[in-house]
Amino acid sequence: MYMQTESSPGEMQQNPASRYEPETARAILVADCGTVVTKVSLLGLVEGQYRLMARGEAPTTAAAPHKDITRGIIQAIEEIERITGHRLVARGRILSPQQMSGDGVDLFVTAISAGGPIRLVVLGAVTPQLAELSAQAVSGLYAETHVIPSPAFSSVHGSGQGPWTPDRVKLEWERQLQSMRELQPHAALIVGLADSPAGATPLQEACQLVINAMQDQKKLGVARERLLPVLYAGAPQYVEAVRRMLHGHADVTRVETLVSQKQLGPVSMAATALYERDVIQQVPGYEQVRAWSPAAPVGAAGSLSSLVRFLAQHYTMNVTAVDVGASTTSVMMGGERGEFIPMVNAGIGIGPNIGAILQQVGVQRVARWLPFTISEEELKQYVMNRMMHPQVVPTSLRDLQIAQAFAREAIILTVETGAHAQSGQFSADLILATVGVLAHAPKYGQAMLLLLDALQPRGVTSMVLDRTMLISQLGAVATVAPVAAVQVNENDAVMHRLGTCVVPFGDLPAGQHALKVDVEYSNGRKISVDVMSGSIEVIPLQINEQALLSLYPAPTVDVGLGPGERARAAEEIDGGLVGLVIDARGRPLALAQDDAERQARLLQWMQVIGA
Amino acid sequence: MSYPLGWSLTTRIGVRRERWPGGYDLKCEPLVSAGALVEPSQPVMRILQIERPRLLPDVPRLSLPASIGPTLPGAVSGTLRERGSTIAAGLRGRVIAITRRGSVVIEGLAAIVAGTVGVGRQVAGPLTIWQAPGSTEGQLYIPPGALLVVPGPLNLNMLRQALYSGIAGVVASSISSRDLEAFLRTDLIDLLNCANPELLLGTLPPLTILLTEGLGTVAMPVRTINLLNKYRGVTALLSGATSLSAQIYPELVIPLSEAEMRERVSTPEPEVELQRGALVRVCSGNYEGAVGKIDYLFSHQQLFPSGVRARAARIQLEDGSLLIVPLPVLERIG
Repeated sequence: MYMQTESSPGEMQQNPASRYEPETARAILVADCGTVVTKVSLLGLVEGQYRLMARGEAPTTAAAPHKDITRGIIQAIEEIERITGHRLVARGRILSPQQMSGDGVDLFVTAISAGGPIRLVVLGAVTPQLAELSAQAVSGLYAETHVIPSPAFSSVHGSGQGPWTPDRVKLEWERQLQSMRELQPHAALIVGLADSPAGATPLQEACQLVINAMQDQKKLGVARERLLPVLYAGAPQYVEAVRRMLHGHADVTRVETLVSQKQLGPVSMAATALYERDVIQQVPGYEQVRAWSPAAPVGAAGSLSSLVRFLAQHYTMNVTAVDVGASTTSVMMGGERGEFIPMVNAGIGIGPNIGAILQQVGVQRVARWLPFTISEEELKQYVMNRMMHPQVVPTSLRDLQIAQAFAREAIILTVETGAHAQSGQFSADLILATVGVLAHAPKYGQAMLLLLDALQPRGVTSMVLDRTMLISQLGAVATVAPVAAVQVNENDAVMHRLGTCVVPFGDLPAGQHALKVDVEYSNGRKISVDVMSGSIEVIPLQINEQALLSLYPAPTVDVGLGPGERARAAEEIDGGLVGLVIDARGRPLALAQDDAERQARLLQWMQVIGA
Repeated sequence: MSYPLGWSLTTRIGVRRERWPGGYDLKCEPLVSAGALVEPSQPVMRILQIERPRLLPDVPRLSLPASIGPTLPGAVSGTLRERGSTIAAGLRGRVIAITRRGSVVIEGLAAIVAGTVGVGRQVAGPLTIWQAPGSTEGQLYIPPGALLVVPGPLNLNMLRQALYSGIAGVVASSISSRDLEAFLRTDLIDLLNCANPELLLGTLPPLTILLTEGLGTVAMPVRTINLLNKYRGVTALLSGATSLSAQIYPELVIPLSEAEMRERVSTPEPEVELQRGALVRVCSGNYEGAVGKIDYLFSHQQLFPSGVRARAARIQLEDGSLLIVPLPVLERIG
């Protein structure tokens, strides 16, 4: 595939793709275009291994006045040029291939999450199970689903608000049309079998709503480039009738009838294709970015999920990855046996979508994480400012702590709303934090405490910080140069090991002895620490240090083998930038109701862990 | 935010605007045809029909908040939008299209004041500068339908007075979020997040508001006051619609006079890069709202009290003092 890049001076014009294969690329540029920030990394060969050479960041330029995502990419690349001293862009284009001087690159790949989530309305005979399945089908995408059950379906299944009179039905139609105006969905998913007393009427009404919405848009002079895409996953015997009814108003694609988890794959694939076509490809500057790369830009959520699955299987452990971005929060769990639980909340983040966090959880839930008193007005002012200026960085400790409080609630909300049968039993061996407020936390203890507070792991788990924000980029690299992705991941992406956490749980009376921890270092030194309930202890165990761990819990306390059962690690555990952390605050974590007491405890925990 | 046009003030730019008072509750007929030249105070549309807001029951969060019908603050709602009333152009230029809903698209030359936050329909009226009580200049007559310029922060009482006075719109520097929410009787987060601002218009007080500096108690920059003073008395077009997700921001479009239009003046394309000498505004932190010029750009990251390291700039504020701030908290305004 021809890559439209600038040939280096002195080079003859020829098809770059014929000169090398992606697998043998010597230098790779990878960009991750987020809603607010664009991050670019330069990967290169060092002694036969791919390594991170340099990285740069710049504000994303998809919106006015730039309206061209390539400008932000080039600004970030210019930072890399300053660091490395090599020329990588010329006249607004990427130099390729790489020269002997080190100028230029052989390959450029991109992951994009700018452009927002795909908005999908779920219509028809939408039972609670079908609503849940629809949400699961898009749970690995940047997607929002909004359920609008048809009036006939609601009237049969009853909403507890009295009889469905003709006036009420008319009002419901108006309300649904208002919802469509407000949501401005990218696509519709029609679901439901015709096996309820309402028969096929809900499917017919779903089509009618689509027609009404499209006619409404025409009346208001809203121009559409293409017909509204409709994924039909309803009763198979009505697919032709649906096509006929929607002819000229919507573009109908039939997918497998959605009745159980088995059909999630086809629905998910169809939604992914729509997301790539109607969201990613509409980002201003996409065509230019596409021309720079042999592979189409991938959605950033897909990039992260690929990496999580790889890490889980490669290291044979349960991995949880956390990404709190400006507009989206993702928590992805990958199991060593291949299980995968993606939880992507496309509506909350700590940038433009920070307001949604406050609306969903309220002032008290955010304020509970702060070691100082804050008024509702100050918190709301903070939220408004972040919504309007999502790119700002906190200059005061107060602002930083507020941002981190919101990050905690973003993770908690994502897990709460994405929770299903498997996630409750998932016990992470490794927690990986990447991007945004976590990667930019000034102190490692802040990141660790944030993860402990938000995820509340139990037992023994390791924590790693992806400070270079490579994880979400490596998935994109893996699509064209998998060897490079693996090597950079092992060499550079998971370098910032925070440490190992031991979290006892069970009946932990406050202020009582919770457990004794014996640590035997590799050099033979031994220490023994008594940990009281309600406290955090940090035992020195630096990065590149290892030790054997023995745990002696109180009779009612469990460290993973049952209440009161002693545990001795079969292998040495690794240290980290924070150390060995014993979190005996109890699970679930209960914060004091009294403000003064709670703030004092929070300060104490922050000081102990180095936050 | 980066302003959609690059800077917060644009002194001369070609504009094309649909003249539509907003909302889905109107039906209008155009009074001009495509190709016609129009003046700002010239009627270009007539209202044929206004639908009363329905009293909707409580609806899920994603739908409209329930309309409160006739108990909206300000019984004057509708005086400017009665059936048969006309709508002024607000711009000087040529009509280039008539749309299906009866609105008129006008093209011309204008100066634009970009707002950070706003609310309300598109309205046209003469720019009138508000004089604080006790000032040396007496308060001039404020005609009904005026666009009142308040060169400073607003409060709830001032907004209520403006509403009951029949003023069409207010341009001010800022207001506290609490006072604005109390006046609008809606959640500001919902307002800023609404993908389609026209949906909310029927439930809001009939007063268009544009805040040049946003929320809080930030003063209006001198350059903005000077520009607005220059055009006092001119009929301008004010739109308060704000949607962060749809990237819609409020604006005041001031049509240039015929003499100004004839001038052969080249206006620079707004640059948005943060460079030495750029005029910038601090948009967060203890110095939020401060305006100054970039004096020096650090090549290495600087450490801030939060512990965050970031690329930074030293700016010289309007009072001459120097301030070091991270680049991400600066917006270029000139």
